[in-house]
Amino acid sequence: MTVHSTAAPPTVAESRFNALLDAAVDAIILIDERGHLTRFNPAAQRMFGYAEAEVAGRNVLMLMPEPYRSQHDGYIHRYASTGERRIIGIGREVEAQRKDGGTFPIDLSVGEFRAGADHGFVGIIRDLTERKARTRETEDLRGRLAHVGRLGTLGEMVSGIAHEVNQPLTAISNYASACRRMVQAGTASGAELAGALDKIGAQAERAGQVIRGLRALVRRRDEQREPLDCNQLIRDVATLVEFDVRQAGFRLVLKLVEPLPATVGDAVQIQQVVLNLIRNGLDAMLEKATGDTLEVETAVADGKVEIRVTDSGPGLGAAALEHLFEPFFTTKPQGIGLGLSICKSIVGAHRGELRGESAPAGGARFRVRLPIGEDE
Amino acid sequence: MSAPGPLVFVVDDEEPVGDSIAMLLRTVGLSAHVYRDPRRFLEEYRAEQPGCLLLDVRMPQMGGLEVQQELIRRHATLPIIFISGHADVPMAVEAMRAGAVDFLQKPFNDDELIRRVQKALEQDARDRELLQRREELERRWKDLTPREREIAARIADGAANKKVAAELGISVRTAELHRARILQKMGVRSVAQLVRMLVALRESPGA
Repeated sequence: MTVHSTAAPPTVAESRFNALLDAAVDAIILIDERGHLTRFNPAAQRMFGYAEAEVAGRNVLMLMPEPYRSQHDGYIHRYASTGERRIIGIGREVEAQRKDGGTFPIDLSVGEFRAGADHGFVGIIRDLTERKARTRETEDLRGRLAHVGRLGTLGEMVSGIAHEVNQPLTAISNYASACRRMVQAGTASGAELAGALDKIGAQAERAGQVIRGLRALVRRRDEQREPLDCNQLIRDVATLVEFDVRQAGFRLVLKLVEPLPATVGDAVQIQQVVLNLIRNGLDAMLEKATGDTLEVETAVADGKVEIRVTDSGPGLGAAALEHLFEPFFTTKPQGIGLGLSICKSIVGAHRGELRGESAPAGGARFRVRLPIGEDE
Repeated sequence: MSAPGPLVFVVDDEEPVGDSIAMLLRTVGLSAHVYRDPRRFLEEYRAEQPGCLLLDVRMPQMGGLEVQQELIRRHATLPIIFISGHADVPMAVEAMRAGAVDFLQKPFNDDELIRRVQKALEQDARDRELLQRREELERRWKDLTPREREIAARIADGAANKKVAAELGISVRTAELHRARILQKMGVRSVAQLVRMLVALRESPGA
């Protein structure tokens, strides 16, 4: 088959095939077994900016930017010699290049045809530019909403956090004064001073931890994808909420399995989920406590990393269970009902699951399941 | 038995805060006992022990104000310096109204802390001395017979022996004897001293 099939009138099959190519919304291109273009439908012409005559007989590489361009011949040869399929019948996301040199993301699926000597490949191409933009927009919106949610949560926690920093500062100030006085009075033994200085160091470290945790949560940044140690994330968040929990007369109990496989995602957003779930648990217990423990556990369940937050509050009623994750549904007098819906969207964006249920002891339990991350 | 030396009690659920205060106080020769749990302090504290109390306002087991109320209930006069990580004005007002001697905000200036602790210890010593004297006075007053108390009250109001004798229908001589005996029992040498004593007794809540 050639691009210029001018001579004979088309057969029935050919005219049907031409109608198909002309009507298709997706770009459809055909190449022979060496990679030379044989058909380039109108949608492809619009997408790439070439007329069919400009590309006829040329190597399909002209439609690809690097690094795809350099790899393509290799793929064709490998397929010809081994029959190993990298893309045929599978489809994948790659980049394409327009006539003006601009590149754009596409979804490419490839099929193979063989009729006697006529052997080649058909590629169906969908422009992903818009979908990508929408995804980015969604990510951006989620990021902004999450950030606002974090600021709101932190706003409620400010007094507890200030206290949490003030305690080590008080101890540091006292130890330092004591050291100075001992030195001035000439009564200080080296060991005594060293002991006090160690304690100063430990307290400074503690204050620093609180600040670090805080700064991470306050920062607004683009979503990250990095390997995450959920245990560490939980420990960091715990330093921020522990005071409030303790102050209310409750205990924050961490039961973290070691080692926990890493998951992949955005550390701050996962921390936000954990923080939100702990704060919810605390609020529930402040409303009506049925025990004094607020438990955060990690586990591996069904091949996923699971974070469980179990409170000793009044538990979840039928209405709450049904509407748990709906925006603006809240059981708190001061709540605006966005916390859990933000959590749900964050967990969803991490290809995970967030579920709420009643705990065996009567409180509420929330489970976050996240896929175990592979290095890509 | 000699009176025990003064102790500074530090009650704060934050171990490093309590520990560092104790170390600071040691540098000026003061002994401190640190408690992380206020309930434990209340179990162990005996009102005879002189000293003062540095008390955290907010603790999970029991708030500082509750500890103060419990001490008041026990008639323990231990001066209390509240310490707080927050600028809790209403709480400070309530604490001071209930008799706290001071309120310090964390973190503290070391000189300030030491000065206030020393002031509280002086106040405790004064309170205890006063209390001791008053108890002594009450003991002596109870030693008087009912007749002697009646006469003492008249003398304190300024009545002369003659007037006392006439009002009670006794001889002037007998009135004089009663007066001498009253002065002796109360451990004073003059009527003026007796008057001051009786005024103090009337003001004392227990009398």
